[in-house]
Amino acid sequence: MHGYQGLAFRTAYLLSGNAADAEEAVQDGFVKAYRALGRFRRGAPLRPWLLRIVSNEARNRRRSAGRRDALALRVASADRPGDAVPSPEAALLGAESRARLLGAVNGLSEEHRLTIACRYFLELSEEETAAALGVRRGTVKSRLARALARLREDLGEEEGA
Amino acid sequence: MNELEQRLQRLGQELDYPSEPDVAPAVLARLDRRPFPWRPVAVAFAVVAVAVAAAFAVPQARTTILKWFHLRGAIVERVETLPSAVERSQAGGLGRQLSRDEAERAIGFELALPPGVKPRRVYVLGGALATMVLRAHGGPLLLSEYRASNLGLLKKSAVAKTVIVAVHVNGEPGLWLEGGQHALTYFNRRGEFRQRTVTIHGNVLLWIRGQLTLRLEGELTKAQALDIARVIR
Repeated sequence: MHGYQGLAFRTAYLLSGNAADAEEAVQDGFVKAYRALGRFRRGAPLRPWLLRIVSNEARNRRRSAGRRDALALRVASADRPGDAVPSPEAALLGAESRARLLGAVNGLSEEHRLTIACRYFLELSEEETAAALGVRRGTVKSRLARALARLREDLGEEEGA
Repeated sequence: MNELEQRLQRLGQELDYPSEPDVAPAVLARLDRRPFPWRPVAVAFAVVAVAVAAAFAVPQARTTILKWFHLRGAIVERVETLPSAVERSQAGGLGRQLSRDEAERAIGFELALPPGVKPRRVYVLGGALATMVLRAHGGPLLLSEYRASNLGLLKKSAVAKTVIVAVHVNGEPGLWLEGGQHALTYFNRRGEFRQRTVTIHGNVLLWIRGQLTLRLEGELTKAQALDIARVIR
Protein backbone atom coordinates (compact mmCIF):
# COMPACT_ATOMS: atom_id res chain seq x y z
CA MET A 1 0.00 0.00 0.00
CA HIS A 2 2.76 2.41 0.98
CA GLY A 3 4.48 1.81 -2.34
CA TYR A 4 1.50 3.04 -4.35
CA GLN A 5 -0.35 5.57 -2.26
CA GLY A 6 1.71 8.58 -3.36
CA LEU A 7 1.13 7.98 -7.05
CA ALA A 8 -2.49 6.98 -6.41
CA PHE A 9 -3.08 10.22 -4.52
CA ARG A 10 -1.52 12.44 -7.20
CA THR A 11 -3.53 10.66 -9.88
CA ALA A 12 -6.74 11.00 -7.89
CA TYR A 13 -5.94 14.67 -7.25
CA LEU A 14 -5.55 15.39 -10.94
CA LEU A 15 -8.79 13.59 -11.75
CA SER A 16 -10.98 14.80 -8.90
CA GLY A 17 -9.58 18.31 -8.72
CA ASN A 18 -9.70 18.36 -4.95
CA ALA A 19 -7.30 17.08 -2.26
CA ALA A 20 -10.01 15.87 0.14
CA ASP A 21 -11.80 13.98 -2.63
CA ALA A 22 -8.48 12.53 -3.75
CA GLU A 23 -7.72 11.21 -0.26
CA GLU A 24 -11.17 9.61 -0.02
CA ALA A 25 -10.80 8.14 -3.49
CA VAL A 26 -7.49 6.52 -2.57
CA GLN A 27 -8.92 5.09 0.65
CA ASP A 28 -12.02 3.73 -1.04
CA GLY A 29 -9.99 2.48 -3.98
CA PHE A 30 -7.53 0.58 -1.78
CA VAL A 31 -10.34 -1.01 0.24
CA LYS A 32 -12.12 -2.08 -2.96
CA ALA A 33 -8.90 -3.40 -4.45
CA TYR A 34 -8.23 -5.44 -1.32
CA ARG A 35 -11.69 -6.96 -1.47
CA ALA A 36 -11.50 -7.56 -5.23
CA LEU A 37 -8.15 -9.30 -5.08
CA GLY A 38 -9.69 -12.62 -6.06
CA ARG A 39 -10.78 -11.16 -9.38
CA PHE A 40 -7.33 -9.80 -10.20
CA ARG A 41 -6.03 -11.39 -13.39
CA ARG A 42 -3.12 -13.63 -12.55
CA GLY A 43 0.16 -12.43 -14.07
CA ALA A 44 -1.15 -8.93 -14.81
CA PRO A 45 0.74 -5.91 -13.47
CA LEU A 46 -0.66 -4.54 -10.22
CA ARG A 47 -0.17 -0.80 -10.74
CA PRO A 48 -2.57 -0.23 -13.67
CA TRP A 49 -5.21 -2.35 -11.95
CA LEU A 50 -4.90 -0.36 -8.75
CA LEU A 51 -4.82 2.98 -10.59
CA ARG A 52 -7.96 2.03 -12.52
CA ILE A 53 -9.87 1.38 -9.29
CA VAL A 54 -8.63 4.55 -7.56
CA SER A 55 -9.24 6.65 -10.69
CA ASN A 56 -12.81 5.40 -11.00
CA GLU A 57 -13.39 6.56 -7.45
CA ALA A 58 -11.85 9.96 -8.19
CA ARG A 59 -13.85 10.48 -11.37
CA ASN A 60 -17.07 9.48 -9.60
CA ARG A 61 -16.45 12.05 -6.90
CA ARG A 62 -15.83 14.80 -9.41
CA ARG A 63 -18.98 13.81 -11.30
CA SER A 64 -21.20 13.61 -8.22
CA ALA A 65 -19.88 16.95 -6.96
CA GLY A 66 -20.85 18.46 -10.30
CA ARG A 67 -17.43 20.02 -10.50
CA ARG A 68 -16.78 21.46 -13.94
CA ASP A 69 -13.89 23.82 -13.33
CA ALA A 70 -10.55 22.58 -14.56
CA LEU A 71 -7.83 21.95 -12.00
CA ALA A 72 -5.24 24.65 -12.54
CA LEU A 73 -1.83 23.09 -12.12
CA ARG A 74 0.84 25.18 -10.47
CA VAL A 75 4.59 24.98 -10.29
CA ALA A 76 5.96 24.54 -6.78
CA SER A 77 7.61 27.75 -5.65
CA ALA A 78 10.32 26.29 -3.44
CA ASP A 79 13.48 24.77 -4.86
CA ARG A 80 13.76 21.06 -4.30
CA PRO A 81 16.39 19.87 -1.83
CA GLY A 82 19.67 19.27 -3.57
CA ASP A 83 18.89 21.58 -6.49
CA ALA A 84 21.74 23.78 -7.61
CA VAL A 85 20.92 27.45 -7.15
CA PRO A 86 20.50 29.03 -10.61
CA SER A 87 21.61 32.53 -11.50
CA PRO A 88 18.80 35.13 -11.28
CA GLU A 89 18.72 35.32 -15.10
CA ALA A 90 18.54 31.55 -15.50
CA ALA A 91 15.89 31.33 -12.81
CA LEU A 92 13.80 33.98 -14.54
CA LEU A 93 14.13 32.33 -17.95
CA GLY A 94 13.34 28.92 -16.50
CA ALA A 95 10.32 30.22 -14.64
CA GLU A 96 9.03 31.99 -17.77
CA SER A 97 9.50 28.89 -19.86
CA ARG A 98 7.73 26.71 -17.31
CA ALA A 99 4.90 29.18 -16.86
CA ARG A 100 4.35 29.39 -20.61
CA LEU A 101 4.33 25.62 -21.01
CA LEU A 102 2.05 25.14 -18.00
CA GLY A 103 -0.28 27.85 -19.24
CA ALA A 104 -0.52 26.03 -22.56
CA VAL A 105 -1.28 22.73 -20.80
CA ASN A 106 -3.92 24.36 -18.60
CA GLY A 107 -5.47 25.81 -21.75
CA LEU A 108 -6.05 22.40 -23.30
CA SER A 109 -9.41 20.66 -23.22
CA GLU A 110 -9.92 18.56 -20.11
CA GLU A 111 -9.44 15.23 -21.84
CA HIS A 112 -6.21 16.39 -23.47
CA ARG A 113 -4.92 18.06 -20.30
CA LEU A 114 -5.53 14.97 -18.19
CA THR A 115 -3.91 12.73 -20.77
CA ILE A 116 -0.81 14.93 -20.81
CA ALA A 117 -0.82 15.10 -17.01
CA CYS A 118 -1.05 11.33 -16.54
CA ARG A 119 1.48 10.47 -19.24
CA TYR A 120 4.14 13.11 -18.60
CA PHE A 121 3.52 14.75 -15.21
CA LEU A 122 2.82 11.51 -13.40
CA GLU A 123 5.03 9.53 -15.80
CA LEU A 124 2.47 6.77 -16.19
CA SER A 125 2.85 4.29 -19.03
CA GLU A 126 0.30 4.40 -21.85
CA GLU A 127 -1.41 1.37 -20.32
CA GLU A 128 -1.56 3.03 -16.91
CA THR A 129 -2.78 6.29 -18.44
CA ALA A 130 -5.55 4.36 -20.19
CA ALA A 131 -6.45 2.67 -16.90
CA ALA A 132 -6.48 5.96 -15.01
CA LEU A 133 -8.67 7.71 -17.58
CA GLY A 134 -10.92 4.73 -18.26
CA VAL A 135 -10.22 4.72 -22.00
CA ARG A 136 -8.52 2.41 -24.47
CA ARG A 137 -4.79 2.58 -25.04
CA GLY A 138 -5.41 3.66 -28.65
CA THR A 139 -7.44 6.59 -27.36
CA VAL A 140 -4.52 7.61 -25.17
CA LYS A 141 -2.20 7.55 -28.19
CA SER A 142 -4.51 9.66 -30.34
CA ARG A 143 -5.24 12.13 -27.54
CA LEU A 144 -1.53 12.51 -26.85
CA ALA A 145 -0.79 13.15 -30.50
CA ARG A 146 -3.50 15.81 -30.74
CA ALA A 147 -2.58 17.39 -27.40
CA LEU A 148 1.12 17.62 -28.28
CA ALA A 149 0.27 19.12 -31.68
CA ARG A 150 -1.95 21.68 -29.97
CA LEU A 151 0.78 22.54 -27.48
CA ARG A 152 3.34 23.01 -30.26
CA GLU A 153 0.92 25.24 -32.06
CA ASP A 154 0.17 27.32 -28.99
CA LEU A 155 3.79 27.64 -27.96
CA GLY A 156 4.84 28.42 -31.53
CA GLU A 157 2.27 31.18 -31.81
CA GLU A 158 3.47 32.70 -28.57
CA GLU A 159 7.10 32.47 -29.54
CA GLY A 160 6.41 34.06 -32.89
CA ALA A 161 4.34 36.87 -31.43
CA MET B 1 10.85 11.11 -26.33
CA ASN B 2 11.09 14.43 -28.15
CA GLU B 3 12.08 17.77 -26.68
CA LEU B 4 8.54 18.90 -25.87
CA GLU B 5 7.79 15.61 -24.12
CA GLN B 6 10.99 15.95 -22.09
CA ARG B 7 10.02 19.50 -21.09
CA LEU B 8 6.60 18.25 -19.99
CA GLN B 9 8.17 15.51 -17.92
CA ARG B 10 10.54 17.98 -16.23
CA LEU B 11 7.61 20.30 -15.60
CA GLY B 12 5.72 17.45 -13.94
CA GLN B 13 8.55 17.06 -11.45
CA GLU B 14 8.16 20.68 -10.41
CA LEU B 15 4.40 20.79 -9.98
CA ASP B 16 2.82 21.69 -6.71
CA TYR B 17 0.70 18.89 -5.28
CA PRO B 18 -0.98 18.89 -1.88
CA SER B 19 0.98 16.93 0.71
CA GLU B 20 0.26 13.24 0.38
CA PRO B 21 -1.78 11.77 3.20
CA ASP B 22 -0.89 8.41 4.69
CA VAL B 23 -4.07 6.48 3.99
CA ALA B 24 -2.80 3.12 5.25
CA PRO B 25 -4.09 3.44 8.85
CA ALA B 26 -7.56 4.47 7.66
CA VAL B 27 -7.70 1.69 5.07
CA LEU B 28 -6.62 -0.95 7.58
CA ALA B 29 -9.08 0.37 10.15
CA ARG B 30 -11.90 0.14 7.63
CA LEU B 31 -10.98 -3.41 6.75
CA ASP B 32 -10.80 -4.29 10.42
CA ARG B 33 -14.34 -3.00 10.95
CA ARG B 34 -15.69 -5.82 8.80
CA PRO B 35 -17.97 -7.85 11.05
CA PHE B 36 -16.39 -11.03 12.25
CA PRO B 37 -18.49 -13.93 13.50
CA TRP B 38 -16.55 -14.72 16.63
CA ARG B 39 -17.76 -18.24 17.15
CA PRO B 40 -16.57 -21.62 16.06
CA VAL B 41 -17.96 -22.43 12.68
CA ALA B 42 -17.40 -25.28 10.34
CA VAL B 43 -16.34 -23.58 7.18
CA ALA B 44 -13.97 -23.89 4.38
CA PHE B 45 -11.02 -21.67 5.07
CA ALA B 46 -8.20 -19.63 3.79
CA VAL B 47 -5.16 -18.55 5.76
CA VAL B 48 -1.90 -16.70 5.45
CA ALA B 49 0.54 -19.40 4.64
CA VAL B 50 3.28 -20.87 2.67
CA ALA B 51 3.20 -24.53 3.47
CA VAL B 52 5.68 -27.33 3.49
CA ALA B 53 4.32 -29.37 0.71
CA ALA B 54 3.58 -28.64 -2.90
CA ALA B 55 3.07 -25.32 -4.56
CA PHE B 56 0.54 -25.18 -7.31
CA ALA B 57 -0.44 -22.84 -10.08
CA VAL B 58 -4.10 -22.05 -9.69
CA PRO B 59 -6.31 -21.47 -12.72
CA GLN B 60 -8.16 -18.21 -13.00
CA ALA B 61 -11.70 -19.35 -12.30
CA ARG B 62 -13.21 -18.52 -8.96
CA THR B 63 -16.56 -19.47 -7.57
CA THR B 64 -18.89 -17.58 -5.34
CA ILE B 65 -17.33 -16.18 -2.22
CA LEU B 66 -19.57 -17.19 0.64
CA LYS B 67 -17.94 -15.34 3.49
CA TRP B 68 -14.69 -13.69 4.30
CA PHE B 69 -12.88 -12.43 7.36
CA HIS B 70 -10.07 -10.00 7.70
CA LEU B 71 -7.05 -10.05 9.90
CA ARG B 72 -4.47 -7.38 9.24
CA GLY B 73 -2.63 -8.20 6.03
CA ALA B 74 -4.66 -11.35 5.45
CA ILE B 75 -8.07 -12.25 4.24
CA VAL B 76 -9.60 -15.55 5.24
CA GLU B 77 -12.13 -16.38 2.60
CA ARG B 78 -14.81 -19.03 2.50
CA VAL B 79 -15.69 -20.04 -1.04
CA GLU B 80 -18.11 -22.43 -2.63
CA THR B 81 -15.46 -24.44 -4.42
CA LEU B 82 -11.72 -24.15 -4.57
CA PRO B 83 -10.26 -23.63 -8.04
CA SER B 84 -8.76 -26.83 -9.40
CA ALA B 85 -5.04 -26.86 -8.76
CA VAL B 86 -2.25 -27.99 -11.04
CA GLU B 87 0.93 -29.13 -9.38
CA ARG B 88 3.86 -26.99 -10.35
CA SER B 89 6.66 -27.71 -7.93
CA GLN B 90 7.47 -29.75 -4.87
CA ALA B 91 9.85 -27.24 -3.40
CA GLY B 92 8.73 -23.77 -4.33
CA GLY B 93 6.48 -23.03 -1.41
CA LEU B 94 8.80 -21.50 1.12
CA GLY B 95 11.08 -19.34 -0.94
CA ARG B 96 14.85 -19.06 -0.75
CA GLN B 97 16.74 -20.61 2.16
CA LEU B 98 18.88 -18.02 3.94
CA SER B 99 20.71 -17.63 7.21
CA ARG B 100 18.74 -15.89 9.94
CA ASP B 101 20.77 -12.68 9.51
CA GLU B 102 20.31 -12.71 5.76
CA ALA B 103 16.61 -13.33 6.17
CA GLU B 104 16.23 -10.42 8.59
CA ARG B 105 18.05 -8.11 6.20
CA ALA B 106 15.83 -9.29 3.34
CA ILE B 107 12.54 -8.71 5.15
CA GLY B 108 13.63 -5.62 7.09
CA PHE B 109 12.69 -6.67 10.62
CA GLU B 110 13.96 -8.94 13.39
CA LEU B 111 12.37 -12.36 13.47
CA ALA B 112 10.32 -13.07 16.57
CA LEU B 113 10.92 -16.45 18.21
CA PRO B 114 10.14 -18.30 21.43
CA PRO B 115 12.91 -17.68 24.01
CA GLY B 116 15.95 -19.90 23.50
CA VAL B 117 14.68 -21.39 20.27
CA LYS B 118 16.87 -21.28 17.19
CA PRO B 119 15.28 -21.88 13.81
CA ARG B 120 16.53 -25.01 12.07
CA ARG B 121 16.07 -23.38 8.70
CA VAL B 122 14.86 -19.97 7.49
CA TYR B 123 13.25 -19.24 4.14
CA VAL B 124 12.23 -15.92 2.60
CA LEU B 125 9.61 -15.57 -0.09
CA GLY B 126 9.19 -12.44 -2.17
CA GLY B 127 11.43 -10.35 0.11
CA ALA B 128 8.51 -10.05 2.52
CA LEU B 129 7.48 -13.34 4.07
CA ALA B 130 9.89 -15.28 6.31
CA THR B 131 9.19 -18.87 7.29
CA MET B 132 11.21 -20.71 9.93
CA VAL B 133 11.30 -24.41 10.62
CA LEU B 134 11.24 -25.01 14.38
CA ARG B 135 10.87 -28.11 16.50
CA ALA B 136 8.48 -28.44 19.42
CA HIS B 137 6.23 -31.07 20.97
CA GLY B 138 8.21 -33.75 19.17
CA GLY B 139 7.56 -32.50 15.66
CA PRO B 140 8.44 -29.80 13.15
CA LEU B 141 6.59 -26.49 13.15
CA LEU B 142 6.50 -23.70 10.64
CA LEU B 143 6.50 -20.14 11.95
CA SER B 144 5.84 -17.54 9.23
CA GLU B 145 6.15 -13.81 9.82
CA TYR B 146 5.52 -10.76 7.69
CA ARG B 147 4.80 -7.10 8.03
CA ALA B 148 1.38 -6.47 6.49
CA SER B 149 2.50 -3.16 4.98
CA ASN B 150 5.34 -4.95 3.18
CA LEU B 151 3.38 -7.84 1.79
CA GLY B 152 0.58 -5.48 0.92
CA LEU B 153 -2.18 -7.76 -0.18
CA LEU B 154 -2.74 -11.35 0.69
CA LYS B 155 -5.72 -13.61 0.39
CA LYS B 156 -6.43 -17.25 0.95
CA SER B 157 -9.43 -19.30 -0.03
CA ALA B 158 -10.58 -22.88 0.33
CA VAL B 159 -13.48 -25.20 0.76
CA ALA B 160 -12.16 -28.01 2.94
CA LYS B 161 -14.14 -28.40 6.12
CA THR B 162 -12.40 -26.93 9.07
CA VAL B 163 -13.11 -25.09 12.26
CA ILE B 164 -12.29 -21.42 12.64
CA VAL B 165 -12.15 -20.06 16.16
CA ALA B 166 -11.39 -16.51 17.21
CA VAL B 167 -8.57 -16.28 19.74
CA HIS B 168 -6.49 -13.61 21.43
CA VAL B 169 -2.73 -13.77 21.83
CA ASN B 170 -1.44 -11.33 24.42
CA GLY B 171 -4.48 -9.16 23.82
CA GLU B 172 -4.22 -9.08 20.03
CA PRO B 173 -6.64 -10.83 17.67
CA GLY B 174 -6.01 -14.12 15.98
CA LEU B 175 -7.64 -17.11 14.36
CA TRP B 176 -7.28 -20.80 15.05
CA LEU B 177 -7.88 -22.98 12.01
CA GLU B 178 -7.85 -26.73 11.72
CA GLY B 179 -7.02 -28.72 8.59
CA GLY B 180 -7.96 -28.33 4.98
CA GLN B 181 -6.49 -27.34 1.67
CA HIS B 182 -6.36 -23.74 0.60
CA ALA B 183 -5.09 -21.31 -2.02
CA LEU B 184 -2.77 -18.41 -1.34
CA THR B 185 -2.69 -15.11 -3.20
CA TYR B 186 -0.17 -12.43 -2.39
CA PHE B 187 1.79 -9.52 -3.75
CA ASN B 188 5.35 -9.03 -2.73
CA ARG B 189 7.05 -5.67 -2.26
CA ARG B 190 7.79 -5.37 -5.96
CA GLY B 191 4.09 -5.71 -6.67
CA GLU B 192 4.56 -9.06 -8.36
CA PHE B 193 1.53 -11.29 -8.29
CA ARG B 194 1.72 -14.85 -7.05
CA GLN B 195 -0.94 -17.43 -6.54
CA ARG B 196 -0.39 -20.84 -5.00
CA THR B 197 -2.30 -23.72 -3.59
CA VAL B 198 -0.66 -25.60 -0.79
CA THR B 199 -1.64 -28.53 1.34
CA ILE B 200 -1.80 -28.02 5.07
CA HIS B 201 -1.47 -31.20 7.08
CA GLY B 202 -1.58 -29.67 10.54
CA ASN B 203 -3.46 -26.89 12.25
CA VAL B 204 -2.82 -23.20 11.95
CA LEU B 205 -2.73 -20.28 14.36
CA LEU B 206 -2.76 -16.86 12.71
CA TRP B 207 -2.35 -13.76 14.88
CA ILE B 208 -1.20 -10.17 15.09
CA ARG B 209 1.89 -9.11 17.04
CA GLY B 210 2.56 -5.37 16.83
CA GLN B 211 3.28 -4.55 13.21
CA LEU B 212 3.69 -8.20 12.29
CA THR B 213 1.29 -10.91 11.27
CA LEU B 214 2.44 -14.37 12.38
CA ARG B 215 1.35 -17.84 11.45
CA LEU B 216 2.19 -21.05 13.25
CA GLU B 217 1.53 -24.36 11.59
CA GLY B 218 2.04 -27.90 12.84
CA GLU B 219 0.60 -30.93 14.56
CA LEU B 220 -0.44 -28.92 17.59
CA THR B 221 -3.53 -28.59 19.68
CA LYS B 222 -4.98 -25.13 20.08
CA ALA B 223 -3.66 -24.91 23.65
CA GLN B 224 -0.14 -25.92 22.56
CA ALA B 225 -0.14 -23.39 19.73
CA LEU B 226 -1.36 -20.61 22.01
CA ASP B 227 1.27 -21.46 24.62
CA ILE B 228 4.01 -21.08 22.00
CA ALA B 229 2.49 -17.93 20.51
CA ARG B 230 2.22 -16.17 23.87
CA VAL B 231 5.95 -16.42 24.59
CA ILE B 232 7.22 -15.44 21.15
CA ARG B 233 9.30 -12.28 21.43
